[in-house]
Amino acid sequence: MTAEPKIVAFLCNWCSYAGADLAGTSRIRYPPNIRAIRVMCSGRVDPAFVIRAFEMGADGVLVSGCHPGDCHYVSGNLKAEKKMQNTRKLLKLLGLGPERLRLEWISTAEGAKFAQVATGFTEELRKMEPNPLKAEGNPKAPASTKKVVSEALKKTNVQYCLECGKCSGSCPISKINEAYSPRRTVERFLLGYADKVLYGTDVWTCLTCFTCSERCPSDVRFPEFVRDCRSVASKEVMEELCAHKGVSLSLSRIMTNPNIKQERMGWLPNGAEIPQKSDLLYFVGCLPYFDVVFEDFNLNLLKIPQSVVKVLNKVGIKPAILGNEKCCGHDLLWTGDVENFEKLARMNVADFKETGATRIVTACPECYRTLKKDYAERLGNFDFEVLHFSELLSELVDKGQIRFEGKLPRKMVYHDPCRLGRHMGVYEPPRKVITSIPGVEMVEMDRSRENAVCCGVNAWLSCNKYSKEVQIDRLMEAKATGADLLVTACPKCQIHWKCVTGEKLPVNPEEVTMEMRDLSVLVAEAMHLT
Amino acid sequence: MEVSRSVLVIGGGIAGMQASLDLASRGLKVYLAERTPSIGGRMAQLDKTFPTMDCSICILAPKMIECFRHPNLTILTYSEVQEVSGSAGNFTVKILKKPRFIDEEKCTGCGVCAQNCPVELPNEFDMGIGVRRAIYVPFPQAVPLKYTIDEEHCLKCGLCQRMCQADAVDFNQEPEVAHLNVGAIVVATGFELFDAQRRSEYGYGRYKNVLISLEFERLLSASGPTGGHLLRLSDGRIPKRIAFIQCVGSRSLKGGVSFCSNACCMYATKEAILIREHEPECEVYIFYNELKVFGKGFQDFVTGAQDHWGVKYIRALPGEIAEDSKTGDLTLWYEDTRENATRSMTVDIVVLCPALIPRAANKEVGAILGLELDEHGFFKPKDPLFAPVDTNVPGVFICGYCQGPKDISESVGQASAAAARAAEVIALSASKEVH
Repeated sequence: MTAEPKIVAFLCNWCSYAGADLAGTSRIRYPPNIRAIRVMCSGRVDPAFVIRAFEMGADGVLVSGCHPGDCHYVSGNLKAEKKMQNTRKLLKLLGLGPERLRLEWISTAEGAKFAQVATGFTEELRKMEPNPLKAEGNPKAPASTKKVVSEALKKTNVQYCLECGKCSGSCPISKINEAYSPRRTVERFLLGYADKVLYGTDVWTCLTCFTCSERCPSDVRFPEFVRDCRSVASKEVMEELCAHKGVSLSLSRIMTNPNIKQERMGWLPNGAEIPQKSDLLYFVGCLPYFDVVFEDFNLNLLKIPQSVVKVLNKVGIKPAILGNEKCCGHDLLWTGDVENFEKLARMNVADFKETGATRIVTACPECYRTLKKDYAERLGNFDFEVLHFSELLSELVDKGQIRFEGKLPRKMVYHDPCRLGRHMGVYEPPRKVITSIPGVEMVEMDRSRENAVCCGVNAWLSCNKYSKEVQIDRLMEAKATGADLLVTACPKCQIHWKCVTGEKLPVNPEEVTMEMRDLSVLVAEAMHLT
Repeated sequence: MEVSRSVLVIGGGIAGMQASLDLASRGLKVYLAERTPSIGGRMAQLDKTFPTMDCSICILAPKMIECFRHPNLTILTYSEVQEVSGSAGNFTVKILKKPRFIDEEKCTGCGVCAQNCPVELPNEFDMGIGVRRAIYVPFPQAVPLKYTIDEEHCLKCGLCQRMCQADAVDFNQEPEVAHLNVGAIVVATGFELFDAQRRSEYGYGRYKNVLISLEFERLLSASGPTGGHLLRLSDGRIPKRIAFIQCVGSRSLKGGVSFCSNACCMYATKEAILIREHEPECEVYIFYNELKVFGKGFQDFVTGAQDHWGVKYIRALPGEIAEDSKTGDLTLWYEDTRENATRSMTVDIVVLCPALIPRAANKEVGAILGLELDEHGFFKPKDPLFAPVDTNVPGVFICGYCQGPKDISESVGQASAAAARAAEVIALSASKEVH
């Protein structure tokens, strides 16, 4: 390494920060590569902070707290240990190397140990390559607010708004949050108060579920309007509203760096046949990362790609999978980061072409919409047929290639994910697949298909009490159908619901707790492939 | 060229009837062709008219009888125009008369046949709320008052044949083809309703107490399935609160039609007043986006509804309706755009006002006659301002809703205009012949 490594150190207020102080007052020499950030407890250090430090070019991150048993908050340091284990997994997936992150226990009395850790870590980092994320180009100049807003007004039909308020009467958030209304948001833009709105929370409140748009008599595409406006809205406000400290967005931005070589294929089932070149490409999406971030939910999210591969292999399809697949960019696009979205899109498309594929299948509705619609619209020349896995399954069911083993005598209810349903109009294929499983009884919620209710959060934004209310309401509706299994075709729906049911509930847990299954996993189980 | 002094009118609704009567009174021979077993059209289904609050069938029935009795007027019900050739002054028309399986000469309209028919079917005239038999007259005031056997649903059990004292039932009737020679043609095919199920957020078809306005009109009507008692279909209870929703499918750039139906704001107001008359305790709300009350006497009508009858107007289009599956009550979600607040309201009945749209069959009628249609399926006038009832085909005229959205009085006025133009064609052709 030629340049000196930079280390960001998160030090606990009670032990390690004092320890570092002691090293200084004791005149112990150690390399000046460390930038200390004092935190009240090492347990406060979220994986997102560490990822963000690397995103900003740190070569190493040191997290240090009190020795186990000494924590001033009893168990904060133990939580830190767990979080850093997770963070190392993320670093491994990103190909940055888990060894760039160190967790140490340093007490107030251990000034010498602090110096020793600092020296040792610096030495180690000097031997390593610098953080590849350092080679960053110049960010583009910010777009003109006026131009972006006026183009968005035209492009998404906002100018045709009749102010009938059908949007607000449809919006799952407006119904419970009096302060928010898509109609009034539009009105303020049209009256020339764009600047004020862009510094508020309203543009970030929209779930982009498309319910309003589906029903709008004037075809105003409000979700796309706010999406476009987000690119010139206040990023400070957004960051405050971002759930999980924005780790997902950091991960996506990191992937825009061409030097990143991910190690994301650890989930592949034994004996999986995935050739380098194939007519069909399976686009996995961010599941390997989500599996780590949401480990505590025990959702076993990697079962989804494993099921997809097993089912495809079973029917004789050998899909290609990209070893260095980048995030599709969905969340970046919907949080207004168009520049980084386009970077990801171009890199992905270049890699798609390498595989010789003509069809791309994905089990994630967000990836599906993004590839099929946004890549095609924004990049042009996108010569791939994009399928959601449910569409491919339905095709295979039609051809009689899917063989289910035995009966699955369960009562199931299917939830339409917004992006698969209202965004892309895919309503029937998942239903067809579910009902083709022998023994299954399928019931519908009152609000289904184009009237399905969003799972409450999108692009990790504005996860708040209103989201929770929307989620609980939806789960109660599903439960009230009498079904014992809730099937969905979007991993994020499951994450959001699992999250809310793990919290303190305002209703009897019995009314909302339901077994959930991704469609792909359900099919793999019905084929006895798990 | 021999000039025919007769005219064909297509469509037996109020516009077609008015045009026919005007022409017949001028001494011209008129053939009035109607697709269904009776003339009368949509107006026959209405309980009252706006803004005069006349009993609709009471003012329509005399006109229907007038058509029936007029010496110059031949009513061809249950008939469809199949081919048209020739040109202004001399058209040849091929008309298919579908078999009623009833000898119209013999049938006295006594109804013994229907009393004995074992088949029960939804009554189209009552918008499917009531029932009719497989042998039926569409409604009591039907003209001609002759029974018809619904071939599709008839069991051919022969009960009606045995019971008929006039021996009018004839299962061997075949379709008849008639060839007419006419000098001019007036088209008045009317409208049909936008399928409210397409706006699935309102639950029409799923929720029992969500009705469309024409169904509700039948519910209010003394000749309707409840005998004019305002009851909820789910439980027969007297409603305490009713909401109307305007613009279901109309004025929509997506998922509907872009034009305004011209009648809904007014008929909803009329129905609202009728509710208050029937059940003074029942609250009525009309959800609208813009009230289109441009006609003569219309504003006074609406103001009266508000001030005198206590009908409440809310400027908002509800986003969705949710049903309480136990009670059948309906909750509407809307943003009160005057108060800037998203609210909900629970009501007993919701009445949707669906777009009135040109008939899908206009395409075929247009093809037979060579008429141009606009993007919505209305017949295109030759000039929207100066020749509103003329078409691209000389000698063929249009009037009523098939020409463009309008209410009863406008349809009647336009029908007279079309009749006058048709008479003019015949007179001019005849005078040319003389020279």
